[in-house]
Amino acid sequence: MKKLLGFIHHLFIPHENNNFRAKSLHPDFLMMYLVFALVLTVFSKTSGVDILGFATDVTAEKLYQLTNQEREKNSLPPLALNDCLSQAAQKKAEDMFEKNYWAHISSTGKTPWDFMNEKECKYEYAGENLAKNFMFSDGVVTAWMNSDSHKENIINKNYTQVGYAIVNGVLNGEETTLVVQMFNKPINPTVADVRSLIKPNSVEAKEMVQADKKLVVAQKTNKSKTNFSSFPININIIFMIFLLAALALDFYFAAKFNIIRFGGKNLAHFIFVTFIFIGLVYVFINGSII
Amino acid sequence: MNGIIKYLNHEVKKHTFDYLLLVTAGIFFLVSINIFKGERFLEFIFLLAFAGFYIIWGIYHHIIDDSLHLKTVIEYILIAFTIIFLLKIIIFP
Repeated sequence: MKKLLGFIHHLFIPHENNNFRAKSLHPDFLMMYLVFALVLTVFSKTSGVDILGFATDVTAEKLYQLTNQEREKNSLPPLALNDCLSQAAQKKAEDMFEKNYWAHISSTGKTPWDFMNEKECKYEYAGENLAKNFMFSDGVVTAWMNSDSHKENIINKNYTQVGYAIVNGVLNGEETTLVVQMFNKPINPTVADVRSLIKPNSVEAKEMVQADKKLVVAQKTNKSKTNFSSFPININIIFMIFLLAALALDFYFAAKFNIIRFGGKNLAHFIFVTFIFIGLVYVFINGSII
Repeated sequence: MNGIIKYLNHEVKKHTFDYLLLVTAGIFFLVSINIFKGERFLEFIFLLAFAGFYIIWGIYHHIIDDSLHLKTVIEYILIAFTIIFLLKIIIFP
């Protein structure tokens, strides 16, 4: 125990045995951190998703639960999870990877309603929300709720059903996780019969979607599994907390004992790591929505 | 505690412009990745830019402070690159 305390003291507190600078901030230790980070990077690349996991924990179940929670808050009935809509959403996500776009309407002019029609999800009202590169389901729903157009879909009283697809692939040369959420109100069977007589293969609908035609270049579809591991996030957070603690303690004791020394400025390191930490926690885990 | 505040005051007052520059760059970094969130490539570019700025800032600051040493430069480079490699795992899994 005494040995351990001595080691921690040596690691964090500047004194004569560590040349008046916390050992954890010495160049040899900093080099060790860099080697560790390099090994992790190479390890994650060569081992792929099976070891470190795909960096997303977005699940249809959680999205469905959170969507209905938001509806409940607005005194609306919960949406029913619909398999037909989920299949249409899956098709839409795959189409985005295949045809290289990130938009509600494809480069060939295919709309979300076309995917619903292909799967024969007859509807009276329909809508679609899209998200990409989020790490957690909560982040997706929060981002949608913070956007008026997406919120309008989630708390729309006209919708009774919802379907989800979460697909991993390569878009614009980047590993991307796409989330497609499709809503509808199934068409009244009687109306459907009448419509099929008048206009076969065509469904008239009130389209609620906010289509933003922002197109991007993508390459190809590959993965479709979601194998999440929080390991990369945890290791980043642990390392940054460790580094911030080492810098703070070293700074505190150096100031307290009035130690004057040459070397990097702890205050500058602290500012840099703090900004990166804020970025990691609040921004890198969030993706974009349309 | 008084000693630390005194030291902080002295350090920040002595190099107000330098620290203001570093904090401004940090704010720019956060705003940029917030604007382009979800665009992994751009996020990584902003991370590289901020880390690069931090290294240059370190060299500039120590030149002004008349305390530039190879060991000091290496310290800034090691911290910046460790952060870049660690975050790369998250940005490009």
